[in-house]
Amino acid sequence: MSKRKAPQESLNEGITDFLVELANYEKNVNRAIHKYNAYRKAASTISKYPHKIKSGEEAKKLDGVGAKIAEKIDEFLQTGKLRKLEKIRNDDTSSSINFLTRVTGIGPAAARKFYEEGVKTLDDLKKIEHKLNHHQQIGLRYFEEFEKRIPRAEMEKMETLILGELNKIDTEYIGTICGSYRRGAASSGDIDILLTHPNYTSQTEKQPKLLHAVVDHLESIGFVTDTLSKGDTKFMGVCQLQQQRDEDEEEYLHRRIDIRLIPKDQYFCGVLYFTGSDIFNKNMRTHALEKGFTLNEYTIRPLGVTGVAGEPLLVDSERDIFEYIQYKYREPKDRSE
Amino acid sequence: MPEIKLKHVVSCSTEDTTHKADNLLSSDTYRKWKAARPGEKQISVILQFEKEDQVHGIDIGNEGSAFIEVLVGNSSAVREQDYEVLLVTSSFMSPTESRNGTNMNRVRFFGPNQLQKSTSQEKWDRVKIVCSQPYSKNIAYGLAFVKFHSPPDKNDPPPTSSPKLTKLGQFRVKDESPSSGPSLQPGSLFFNRDNATKSNTSLKVSPQSDKMSYAAAALQASGSSHLSSQASSSSNSASPQPPAKRKFEFSKERQSAPGPPPSKKSPAVSPESKAATPKHKPSTPSPSTAKASPAQMSTDKKRESQSKPEPKPKPKGKSKSKQQVPFNRIMEGVVFVLSGFQNPFRGEVREKALDMGAKYRPDWTPDSTHLICAFANTPKYSQVKSAGGIIVRKEWVMDCHKRKQKISYKRYLMDGAESSSESEMEVDDESEEEMNTKIPQKQERQVTPRKTPVKRDEDEYAGSTDMDEPGGDDDDSAVDTEDELQRVEKESRQKKAAAGRAAVKEEDPYGGSTDENTDAEAEQDHPIPELPDFLSGKHFFLYGKFPNNERRLLLRYIVAFNGAIEDYMTEKVQFVVTSEGWHDSFEDALMENGNLNFVKPSWIYAINERQKMLPYQPYTVVPQ
Repeated sequence: MSKRKAPQESLNEGITDFLVELANYEKNVNRAIHKYNAYRKAASTISKYPHKIKSGEEAKKLDGVGAKIAEKIDEFLQTGKLRKLEKIRNDDTSSSINFLTRVTGIGPAAARKFYEEGVKTLDDLKKIEHKLNHHQQIGLRYFEEFEKRIPRAEMEKMETLILGELNKIDTEYIGTICGSYRRGAASSGDIDILLTHPNYTSQTEKQPKLLHAVVDHLESIGFVTDTLSKGDTKFMGVCQLQQQRDEDEEEYLHRRIDIRLIPKDQYFCGVLYFTGSDIFNKNMRTHALEKGFTLNEYTIRPLGVTGVAGEPLLVDSERDIFEYIQYKYREPKDRSE
Repeated sequence: MPEIKLKHVVSCSTEDTTHKADNLLSSDTYRKWKAARPGEKQISVILQFEKEDQVHGIDIGNEGSAFIEVLVGNSSAVREQDYEVLLVTSSFMSPTESRNGTNMNRVRFFGPNQLQKSTSQEKWDRVKIVCSQPYSKNIAYGLAFVKFHSPPDKNDPPPTSSPKLTKLGQFRVKDESPSSGPSLQPGSLFFNRDNATKSNTSLKVSPQSDKMSYAAAALQASGSSHLSSQASSSSNSASPQPPAKRKFEFSKERQSAPGPPPSKKSPAVSPESKAATPKHKPSTPSPSTAKASPAQMSTDKKRESQSKPEPKPKPKGKSKSKQQVPFNRIMEGVVFVLSGFQNPFRGEVREKALDMGAKYRPDWTPDSTHLICAFANTPKYSQVKSAGGIIVRKEWVMDCHKRKQKISYKRYLMDGAESSSESEMEVDDESEEEMNTKIPQKQERQVTPRKTPVKRDEDEYAGSTDMDEPGGDDDDSAVDTEDELQRVEKESRQKKAAAGRAAVKEEDPYGGSTDENTDAEAEQDHPIPELPDFLSGKHFFLYGKFPNNERRLLLRYIVAFNGAIEDYMTEKVQFVVTSEGWHDSFEDALMENGNLNFVKPSWIYAINERQKMLPYQPYTVVPQ
């Protein structure tokens, strides 16, 4: 999932934008994940509200909007701005920290640490490049490129290329590009590939070779350009499409790429999870619990009468998961919430 | 593997007029138990054993249920929550099969490895079987048969033959081909993953669990034999797994006392066929356990010897009250794992420990030494506990950091976390101060004639006696009897006579806190049945900071009263306990979950004092 969520256009864009900004502030600066979630939830319900909101009172009727947020909406509607937000924006600390977290490899904690050391801007970061770890250095090097969204057309090109190459290595590989791309988004923040192979299940040994063979091959054809981290089951790196000779457009940008190797029996729970959206996932899990199941990115398990989770259920497709919890199947494009 | 005789049906939630629950008592498979009406969401039956026994294996023949769970209890237990899970909810039919009415009669055999360890090692005289079928409103479902097996007698000969296909009345039991693997052990996905990195397993595994499992999953069997299944793609068979063969050879080797031949009386399932289809999880601890023990000991020794040299560069500290260790080396050699902490605090603890030279691992690995745990019963807690790791509270790190000196982790141990290796391992690090804190405890013991604390204290310092004692003799502190303690006390007094005074004073606060822990721990040591259930079904979340050890104490009370603790602010949470008064974020939390109540810790204490449930309203936290 990309570092920044693309704001969805809607009637109440102004409101959802400031809520998302507040959410990020709570997450990055205060590290208050629950406030972050509360703001995100409010923003999400408001974004699907079909009317233009005229007052906080009206918004308050919506799920996830309480007194405090309604107050803020009123203030925003009446004055066109929000004092709290102005204060945050003017506050050197929070704006710097918020900015630093945009570099991949720098999270809220590292950002605060850098800030306390007086590092506030991209230039400051460049000065202390030797102090950055490998991941952060690459984040810095490609900062501008990573900030740019990937147009769907380019995602499609990458998908074709990757799936084609997988097939060349071993026809039994199964790969899925997840994330917002799979939900049909017009642009994506990064590319997230889930990979599995019939020889690899949760009962077998880990098989890092299955992952490394793919990464090595993608490196050898010049698609993967840098590695941020490479473990037994997860690769994080940078990729770039090669320019075709007959095209004289600009060079393709460097993009963030993640490849996860998942045991075959857990693959579909993984695909479901990494397709998101995160809010859809939350709702689906809640529904699963109501039906007496616990669902996570690895397995779905029934709950016993005392609440003890049962054995992992066999899952052969995303549809199976919906079926177990008696939830109407939704195509990826309908999973925004 | 002797079958446990069933005496009678205690109760059942529903039964058909012809397919009565009593049918389960006989072993004829054509006599079933079914619900009175189709479409019941969940049905259950409670059966009485003839005498109390350990359950080592269960065979279940299905009759249309999608999921079946087995719980155990005692006839003295009356309430719902007195039953404990023996076999976690297991799948017998997929949703598609349920709707189409296919594969209604799967048979699954569950061996000791598929049963919950803690419950399968105790004796019980009642079982409760819970069936559910949420996917079809047209099936009156139930059970075709159920059999329970006690642990095998030692004299029984091992099973030898492995029939490929056995016909048992209407059931076909097929041995799995090597290509279809063992059935999924409930929860095994996670367990195995963890296990893969764990080099050895708990030393405590009982002899029974060393036995080969005879359990075969009929699920795959029927799935792969394509009886009438249209739902081959979503059939319930477990995912492909590595061949079971290997395991089987193994079992022959190891299984000195395999299951006794099944009683001839049972016409339905021949015991041979059961015993002949042993399936093992690739990672079952059993095969390696016995052999592993010596190995583990030597590992421990190794660890010990590794850790011993370490303190040398530093002052040995026995009689010095302060150890002068460079700040960034205070925790050198510590490889820690965190559990139960939330950010940002999690990051803070980690950073502090890293600053002091410790190494961090996200998950428990063979080289990890300490688990720093927010409270007991996190998944990592159980994992590390069974792996024999050291489990400590976060205060260890905080205090080391604050005082900029190495403090023995011992007084920060979480209850019951001692392992066989730890007491030896860090012996050298033990400082004079440690001795002093022990002594007050001991004195207290002598004054209060309570049995439990004494025993527990012994455990705490004597974790090694049964296993590793030989290595411990060379060091005073590894010996744990009272005499020894007295001797140590004397010695330390002599050594320290003058110089030590200051240190003693300085350590006093710790003496106090250790005492407090002692009480709390003792409380948890009571056998569980004695604990009241005031907070059953209530979910708690502890918010913010609590002075002193209050957080820990609260956790203990809540757990003791059968309340549930949530690590995070989930939807389940009903009560947020905080000692910090109203916080703005509560309002946001209320927006998410209208059922939240914010209460003061005094509520929990009051319940403890009065030993009864009290209304929480007088203790709520309100906005100022």
